[in-house]
Amino acid sequence: MDATALTFVSLLFVAAFGSVLAGIPVAFALSGAALIVAFVASIFGAFDLSYLSAIPSRIYGTAMFNEVLTAVPLFILMGVILERSRVAEDLLVNMARLTRGLPAGLGISVTAVGALLAASTGIVGATVVAMGLLSLPTMLKRGYRPSLAAGSICAAGTLGQIIPPSIVLVFLGDQLSGAYMEAQREVGNWAPDPVSVGDLFAGALIPGLGLAILYMLYQLAVGLLRPADCPAITEEDGEAPALGTVLASLLPPAVLIVAVLGSILAGAATPTEAAGVGALGALLLAGRRLAAEQNGRIMGRIVEIGILGAALLPVLRSVADLRLAAEEVTAADRVALWVAFVACALLVAGIGAALVVLARSGNLAASMLATMRISTLAFTILIGATIFSLVFRSLGGDEIVLHVMQQIPGGETGALIAVLLLVFVLGFFLDFIEIVFIVMPIVAPVILQSDINPVWFGVLIAMNLQTSFLTPPFGFALFYLRGVAPPELKTGDIYRGVLPFIAIQIFGLATVFAFPELATWLPSVIYR
Amino acid sequence: MRGVIAGIEALNRALARGVAWAALAMMLAQAFSVIARYVFSDGLIAVQEAVVYGHALLFLVGAAFVLQLNEHVRVDVFYAAYGRRTRRIVDLLALLVFTLPVVAVVLWVSVPYVVRAWATLEGSRQAGGIPAIFLLKTAILVFALSVGLQALATALRLIRCERVAHWDEDR
Repeated sequence: MDATALTFVSLLFVAAFGSVLAGIPVAFALSGAALIVAFVASIFGAFDLSYLSAIPSRIYGTAMFNEVLTAVPLFILMGVILERSRVAEDLLVNMARLTRGLPAGLGISVTAVGALLAASTGIVGATVVAMGLLSLPTMLKRGYRPSLAAGSICAAGTLGQIIPPSIVLVFLGDQLSGAYMEAQREVGNWAPDPVSVGDLFAGALIPGLGLAILYMLYQLAVGLLRPADCPAITEEDGEAPALGTVLASLLPPAVLIVAVLGSILAGAATPTEAAGVGALGALLLAGRRLAAEQNGRIMGRIVEIGILGAALLPVLRSVADLRLAAEEVTAADRVALWVAFVACALLVAGIGAALVVLARSGNLAASMLATMRISTLAFTILIGATIFSLVFRSLGGDEIVLHVMQQIPGGETGALIAVLLLVFVLGFFLDFIEIVFIVMPIVAPVILQSDINPVWFGVLIAMNLQTSFLTPPFGFALFYLRGVAPPELKTGDIYRGVLPFIAIQIFGLATVFAFPELATWLPSVIYR
Repeated sequence: MRGVIAGIEALNRALARGVAWAALAMMLAQAFSVIARYVFSDGLIAVQEAVVYGHALLFLVGAAFVLQLNEHVRVDVFYAAYGRRTRRIVDLLALLVFTLPVVAVVLWVSVPYVVRAWATLEGSRQAGGIPAIFLLKTAILVFALSVGLQALATALRLIRCERVAHWDEDR
């Protein structure tokens, strides 16, 4: 191994992580440290500055003209609209009403909503903060043991990362697919089966739902064994609302989220298509919800008719031939085609009304700005990480990593465990997106040269990070909850509260490690 | 000096407020494509590409405003514990030693890249696509320039001990 290369690659790591930890914005810390090290190395003849001319084409190829990643802003928009229009809040409130009388019902609702809202909240902070603000005061008021309430919220907040369609899985899938191709070519397999974001979604579904179910079982067990810790909501808390009312506001967002996920898993739609439809659906639901608030009866009706129009389209498609390019058109098809056009017109009117309602409530421009902000945060880091890995590779860093990983005892499994440990520790300092952008391009091309299944690897990484975010004293989720929790809630309560959930996580991680089929079975059934 | 800072910030704010609507455009274009494809088995490549254009513009043009509001993601394990003076020094270092050199290099290596795209008025590789790849690539220069200007403006503010604006979606 080349000693100069080793020196500069080590220098690169020290400079990058030092500046990240010092509090320099991550995107510029990564790219800035990389460029500084590149210039120093070029003075010693260890780096050819002409490599830097690849920067614009890398930015263009990885971040800009990447159709898979266009799903990300659309999923963010969907989440922002659901949150700002309080559809998400209604979801939580109604779920809690539905679990009336059930021990630990509120905690179970928090877990269920955390799982459902996965799409909107790839960034850990968003869910934990939203749920912390919404449900923590209620839970404490109802007499929940503070540590149980805090633990439930932190755990539910991180659950959104692993349950598809979360945006971090989109990023992870995008990185894995490139790394897998590269790794397999490296070992002489010129035609590996490509790995897609859809594969990763399918792979993460069983482990993710499994974790959600384990969380709920734990909460139920506490509710049954120690009812005083998490009292059920009872008749004293006001009149029980009619089941119909609850379902009416619970079902539409649930149907939307399940439809988005289902269409991807069924292989019918790409994640980008599903995200676009999801955002549109969120807009219509928000229009309907806010129109009711504004007493905008007519607007609300127009939105509802628009939703009906949208729902009519797939029905028409299944009974008639609507192909515009069709050569032979029967009379029935012609009628269906006109009905479809009318349905589209109604949908357009519904979209227009929803936009007006959202603008009147002051949420339209704000939702767009929020979407712009969150996408920019993620993609600026991607640009920074792209520059970092360009310099890293040009310095010969990939060969050094390969060499180091070959030294780890235990072969493939040893290397895999080492990577999981590294990622776990990094999870204390960096958010999911940063780790996916920095660590994956470095280790994945090496790890995936072996027989390790890329989907299994991705799911392990995701579960592992999620555990890391829960682990005191550094876990991200804990910081975010601390930020919004009342001072009466002790930090020690938060730490104690997450311990059982960490145990569940470790159990889940070990199970998926021992039985890779939990992650690989569903993609193999769906996509083959 | 004050006018220069205000001018840069007003420009970046206006750019960001404008480009934020690309999110809405993306959603409408994507929904159009889905309905065209799955209901009518048809589609317009230009509309599908518009989604990609909206996506790229969103973060390239918006980045300067996010910097203006000091919102770029940072690890605050230590940063949160810094005093005001230390924070100012770290922020200033971040801008002068990291952000500005990075965008300067990006600008330097991207000019020939964008010039090549303009020389052939590079269009879509697909028939019926948007014939404006050269304009899309130009957004990299807009990114580097606007972030660079904003880094200067913010650095000036920090040197003059002025406050940096904060994010408020409802403003």
